[in-house]
Amino acid sequence: MIPVDLQVVWQVMKWPLAACLLLPPLLVYLGLHVVKREVIFVDLALAQVATLGTCVALLMGYDFHDRISFWISLGVTFGAAALFSWSRSSQKRPVPQEAIIGITFVVAAAGVILMLSRVAGGKEELEHLLTGDILNVTALEVMQRAGVFVLLALFFATFHKRFALISSNPDEAFAGGMRVRLWDFLFYAAFAIVVVSFVRVAGVLLTFAYLIVPAVCAVMLAQRWMSRLTVGWVIAAAASLLGLTASYQMDLPTGAAIVCASGLLLILVSMYASLRKA
Amino acid sequence: MKIISFLHLSVLAPIAAWSLATSASRVPPPAAVIHVVATTPDLAALAREIGGDAVEVKALAKATEDPHFVDAKPSHIVTLNRADVLIEGGADLEIGWLPPLLESARNDRIATGAPGRIVASQGIRMLDVPSTLDRARGDVHALGNPHFLIDPINVRTIAATIAEHFALVNPKSADLFRANLKKFDATLDVHLATWLKQMAPFKGAKIVTYHKDFVYLAERFNLEVVETLEAKPGIAPSPAHLAQVISTMKAQNARVILVQPYQNRKTAETVARQTDATVLDMAQQPGAIDGTGTYFQLMDYIVTLLSTALQEKK
Ligand SMILES: [Zn+2]
Repeated sequence: MIPVDLQVVWQVMKWPLAACLLLPPLLVYLGLHVVKREVIFVDLALAQVATLGTCVALLMGYDFHDRISFWISLGVTFGAAALFSWSRSSQKRPVPQEAIIGITFVVAAAGVILMLSRVAGGKEELEHLLTGDILNVTALEVMQRAGVFVLLALFFATFHKRFALISSNPDEAFAGGMRVRLWDFLFYAAFAIVVVSFVRVAGVLLTFAYLIVPAVCAVMLAQRWMSRLTVGWVIAAAASLLGLTASYQMDLPTGAAIVCASGLLLILVSMYASLRKA
Repeated sequence: MKIISFLHLSVLAPIAAWSLATSASRVPPPAAVIHVVATTPDLAALAREIGGDAVEVKALAKATEDPHFVDAKPSHIVTLNRADVLIEGGADLEIGWLPPLLESARNDRIATGAPGRIVASQGIRMLDVPSTLDRARGDVHALGNPHFLIDPINVRTIAATIAEHFALVNPKSADLFRANLKKFDATLDVHLATWLKQMAPFKGAKIVTYHKDFVYLAERFNLEVVETLEAKPGIAPSPAHLAQVISTMKAQNARVILVQPYQNRKTAETVARQTDATVLDMAQQPGAIDGTGTYFQLMDYIVTLLSTALQEKK
């Protein structure tokens, strides 16, 4: 263990902490949609596609931090977003959407491996893309993402009713003459922006954990959108604090510590939920 | 109500854990000792030789870790934050992981150009300096091959640089540092004479390495690295390249492959089976292999292992 000096702790952990408290709320909201739609792995697949996009940029000779590699990654991820909104909207489908999501994930993951085999230090790069580098997140990176997320949150808040309807009751939306396909694409496109910008600081695993675990906990504990959102935020914040503390105290990789803390909280919440039911 | 009680549970638990943690013992640093951080264990070992009791040395990378890729952990930032001196290999060895850690650590004492910042590559005659730069050619270091501590002559230069900087940072102990440097140089001279004698019979012997990480050793002891298992530095070996390595090894009768602990030994074994070669567990970091805690022990180990294998395969 490291001898603790509060000032040093603060200096080392303040921006990771800021990132882990400010950014997850929007992720939780999207997670609630994804749980409703029962397409849990869509975010894992999108996060992996985002990584694939980054690898395309790396292979083209751009650096991970170049702005252009962000845009390439976003472009590739929009492609997947279009695929997902199409595969959901096409009504009579013999192929379940989960199959398409799963295949997307596997092919993207394999594509990443193939591309990184041509990049110096590819094996290590692969691990970094998976686990991210939330510990070294900078003030600028947190601010930029917070700005984008606030804009997107306004977008989702404005059209929340429509998004809620197509997530929870798509048949009714179709029947009511809503342009489900368009709204679905807007949903996945916005989703893609969130995932791409968060994956670049937090890695695939942490992004997935923030999207799903708080939302699943919220569904177990609350009913309405607003209360679920609140519970989700609290869970995300608790997982962040727990994970960051563990990472500091036991000197563990930060992102992975937060993911495991989320898992632990999920177990506690599901035990509490089943006790409450009994 | 239920949600509220749940709020308590999830928020209070980590805060309690946090405050518990922060109340742990604080150890004030002893006054005159300078806190030294080295990026790699080999640099740390040199710092210990020169600094003696007047320094406290920590290495960021573990001995068994690839120095090109070190995973960031909170302790790294804390260590850098408190350091009086940072010794880095330089020549882009740590470029993938040190800069963000330094940015997070915010420590002017070890800023670029400060007396507390030692860049080992300064003053070294670099090998493998590329004439053109292109990421597609692999992890080509623009400033030359950074694995230069494996050459004892380079180590002599670096030890002098370290002593100089230590004296600037802590003038009170300057005499001690100078005396330690003198002792180190004398020991190095004795050892080097032995190592050169041990390796003399194998002048021009052909070896194969996994990465381009033994070029300085090869130059010092007149060996020839005929192939590397990586086609390009940092890029995992491909089947086609390995086939080429095998045919080169057969044609040139190279039958020794050097592998470091963090490199893929299985790849080397596959090649060795086809070429009747021996895979040698080499290391450039003191402590990566048992009984090699100091630079001298490590070099003794390397030279003995290498000369024995070359003798057998002669
Ligand atoms: Zn190298």
